[in-house]
Amino acid sequence: MSYEPGYAGLGDRVPLSDLVPSPRLAAAVWRRNAQVFSKLWKGALLPTFLDPFFYLLALGFGLGTYIAHGINGIPYKEFVAPGLIASAAMWSSAFETTYNVYFRMNELRLYDNVLSTPVEPQDLVAGDIAWSSTRATIYGIVVLIVVAAVGLVESPWAILIPPFVLLGGMCFSVIGYTFTSLIPKIDLYSYFFTLGITPMFLFSGIFFPFNQLPGWVEVVAWLTPLYHLVEITRGLATGPDAVQILIHTAWLAVVTAILFAVPVRALRARLVP
Amino acid sequence: MTNSGPAVVARELAKSYGSRVAVDGIDFEVPAGICFGFLGPNGAGKTTTMKMIYGLARVGDGELFVMGMDARRERREIKSRIGVVSQETNLDGDLTVRENLTQQASYFGIDAHAAAPRVDQLLEFSLLAERGNDRVQSLSGGMKRRLMVARSMVNEPELIVLDEPTTGLDPQARLAVWRSLERLKRRGVTLLLTTHYMEEASRLCDRLLIMDEGRIVTEGSPASLVREHAGREALELELGDDCDAAALLATVAERADGHELHDGDLTLFAQDAEELLRSIDHDRFPTDSALVRRATLEDVFLRLTGRSLREGE
Repeated sequence: MSYEPGYAGLGDRVPLSDLVPSPRLAAAVWRRNAQVFSKLWKGALLPTFLDPFFYLLALGFGLGTYIAHGINGIPYKEFVAPGLIASAAMWSSAFETTYNVYFRMNELRLYDNVLSTPVEPQDLVAGDIAWSSTRATIYGIVVLIVVAAVGLVESPWAILIPPFVLLGGMCFSVIGYTFTSLIPKIDLYSYFFTLGITPMFLFSGIFFPFNQLPGWVEVVAWLTPLYHLVEITRGLATGPDAVQILIHTAWLAVVTAILFAVPVRALRARLVP
Repeated sequence: MTNSGPAVVARELAKSYGSRVAVDGIDFEVPAGICFGFLGPNGAGKTTTMKMIYGLARVGDGELFVMGMDARRERREIKSRIGVVSQETNLDGDLTVRENLTQQASYFGIDAHAAAPRVDQLLEFSLLAERGNDRVQSLSGGMKRRLMVARSMVNEPELIVLDEPTTGLDPQARLAVWRSLERLKRRGVTLLLTTHYMEEASRLCDRLLIMDEGRIVTEGSPASLVREHAGREALELELGDDCDAAALLATVAERADGHELHDGDLTLFAQDAEELLRSIDHDRFPTDSALVRRATLEDVFLRLTGRSLREGE
């Protein structure tokens, strides 16, 4: 009979050296996920093409018709479009690091095998997050192509969007992974999506700006990663302000780096009790 | 082999999960190059002991050295030199048979190109050469187990830990796994396995350790354990309804090496069970059936713990 530790909380502190992943072994973890994705991508990517299309149709072309003067001098369709690149990356990362990681870990028990090889929790988490953000970037690029194809991208700087989406994907992924590594059962994902991801999608400045709203709304938005990625993608698509982009980039990088230790610790406590 | 000392050394090794004690202070030494078995019922602490060895459970109390390395501190180094066949089949169902092996090699830092010849050998070894490009899901239970064994060999380990390698397999599939383990043994790989099948233990293991409730009950070679604790033969009697078991025992006591009585089933151990059977007065002690057989490890376990190996299954 094998003992199921299940919920193990945050776990013990680990020495800093146990937080530094081996690039080679993290790449092995990345490669497995990429290989499985390469077999399934046709089915997985089609909704990604359609999703932004529907939002653009309903909001950009539908609702947008009633917003005659656009927002901050930008036509409404063009205001919404870059945000959809960022939100595609968020949804992709959220699903990958919740349900997909959960199934690999708890249902398929693949991580038991991986962790009985030289791969340690920090390599596993790094490889999974690297893959999740790669996938987010693929999805982001798909949406970028869609919105550029229908003429909603003004600035040539938009070509620089993918690496920022990769960084944003890392930030979303580390948050999703943190949640997965800490929850005792799968039912709690509905809270993650209903109270976390969906409100973030609606209130991070994709569909309306904050300058007409009370100041605290902007403060709350500032605490969410999606807000920062939307500001970057919109900046690059409409004409960037380098300083602003640097601030948002720093926010995403710092949060990602700080949070990384949490899933490493929690996964160790959970899988190596 | 780079290591000439014992493959595994445990001193006062213990492990608890919360308030539940899984391993309760055990001492053992696994010599290199042999097949060493842990025999015991479910919940005896075998799996926890194996997990501490292959790095999926941290060492609780005491000391544990694997190929001379401290299991507390040198986990990554230990894991790079051992192979693991876990109790649960955890092959990657989204990958093919070949991809499972190539992917496993990459977890040891071996890239796909360098791993290719090794993967071919392993497919041959596990009799899966024809199935290399098939999805793992299409394999039978026995094939999956053989692939698990092949997967544990990608890094050419000196020690392979197998946790109940044949549980749940039909007899034919079990035999195929045993044959591949015997081939491994001939190559000089140290095998450390847990089982609750006495047939598996007596066929494969050079040395056995019997575990129950987190403790070691006894240790020795399969044959010497049987000789020492059960004798040569066993006589199984199903006593009739009006048979006085206590009186019967009193009459045979001095000719038997011991006995076990459970709900009217009496097992007597003796050098010559045939002769013992003839000496019983069947008119006075009616029996529904009588069977003479060789004593087994099952008897050893029963005598030492008072319980059957398969209890609770």
